[in-house]
Amino acid sequence: MREAFLLLLSGDAETWGVVERSVRFSLMSTFFALLSGLPVGILLSIGKLPGKRFAVSAINALTAVPTVVIGLSAYSLISRSGPLGGSGWLFAPPGVVLGQSFLAFPVVASLTYAGLAKLDPRFRETIVTLGAGPFLRFLATMREARTVLIAAAVAAFGRVTGEVGVSMMLGGNIRNLTRTMTTAIALDAAKGDFERALSLGFVLLLIALAVNIAIHFLNTSGA
Amino acid sequence: MLYEVANVTLRYGKETVLAIPSLTVDKGDHVALLGPNGSGKTSLLKLLDGLLVPTEGRILKKGKPIGKNRKETPRSVYLHQFPYLLNGSVGYNVAFGCRAVGVSERETRRRVRNAMKALGLEDLSGKSHASLSGGETQRVALARALACGAEILLLDEPTASADAVSVRLIERALVQAEAEGATIIFSTHDEDFARRLTARTIRLRNGRLDDAEGRES
Repeated sequence: MREAFLLLLSGDAETWGVVERSVRFSLMSTFFALLSGLPVGILLSIGKLPGKRFAVSAINALTAVPTVVIGLSAYSLISRSGPLGGSGWLFAPPGVVLGQSFLAFPVVASLTYAGLAKLDPRFRETIVTLGAGPFLRFLATMREARTVLIAAAVAAFGRVTGEVGVSMMLGGNIRNLTRTMTTAIALDAAKGDFERALSLGFVLLLIALAVNIAIHFLNTSGA
Repeated sequence: MLYEVANVTLRYGKETVLAIPSLTVDKGDHVALLGPNGSGKTSLLKLLDGLLVPTEGRILKKGKPIGKNRKETPRSVYLHQFPYLLNGSVGYNVAFGCRAVGVSERETRRRVRNAMKALGLEDLSGKSHASLSGGETQRVALARALACGAEILLLDEPTASADAVSVRLIERALVQAEAEGATIIFSTHDEDFARRLTARTIRLRNGRLDDAEGRES
């Protein structure tokens, strides 16, 4: 344990490089998940769409799909024989980000929908009666539900930071290129390099703790 | 004629919550809707604002069906019995209606100042919506409606959660709005309040007009 902390405190380039890459991939995939998940969540919460119930159930179900299944789906897209086979994303950072975005998308869409559905019905009537057009209604809704939306982003970030299946399957755990904290822990533990695995585990634990504290704080501060 | 209601029915499933054969309201009228809880006062106000759509019948405003374009004049604003204030300061809330209809920032500031003065809110501009009392909330919501320049005020029990001071300020602001030509239609259980503000009352019971006073030919 002592060696693990020393590894972190000594500023070991390899260890911190993995941490930096993990956080970078997670931030990028959270961004893309927000880009796609927010509109879907908003559409489901305000629109009277055919099949809405089914769509909500499907998105909720997707939040619980194992990461390797998501990884496999993305793999089939970007592998040589897949529709995006020519992109060269497999075993490269874009492949990991794509897979993690798939993973985070239902988290964002589901939490956005749930948060917006809980908004007081008087809110919509108030902005409508005051004459707000569609764009101002959208902005006002985002402002009103901002804590919910931030919580969705934080939860998505937490989900992708801690996953291993997608990163391993689509990134290939390549040193200095696609190795993330979780894939590095798996490899280091298998090699018997417990100090590095523990040090990365400690960083992951801290991130998970920070994410949970942030979600708890946002949930208790209300939408 | 400002409003013309003809053979309007509002149903939720099989339940008829409102059935008005005929009703008219002229520009500048001051109308009090009286009646027990569940008599259809809120539904009628929301129908007049276009927030609800009648199951049957028609409601014309200035001879035209109530459309979705909220910027069409004369503009109406509906106020909930327990108004909803947006997350933010009192000033943000009062200015929201002006910004919603594209009033310039300079004019918005002027209108907000006047509306807040009319309702005794000058000192609360920076205060958060969450820290207001029931009466202050009512006053902020009314100031918001006045500031955005609505010519028709549809008020659902505007003094329901207000203390004596707030009632007095709300009453004063409504009298001023009346003097400036606003049409005010409000529901209330307070007949004295209705008497002080209005020359005409419409009584509702079980979703139907209850007496000859409100019945129109």
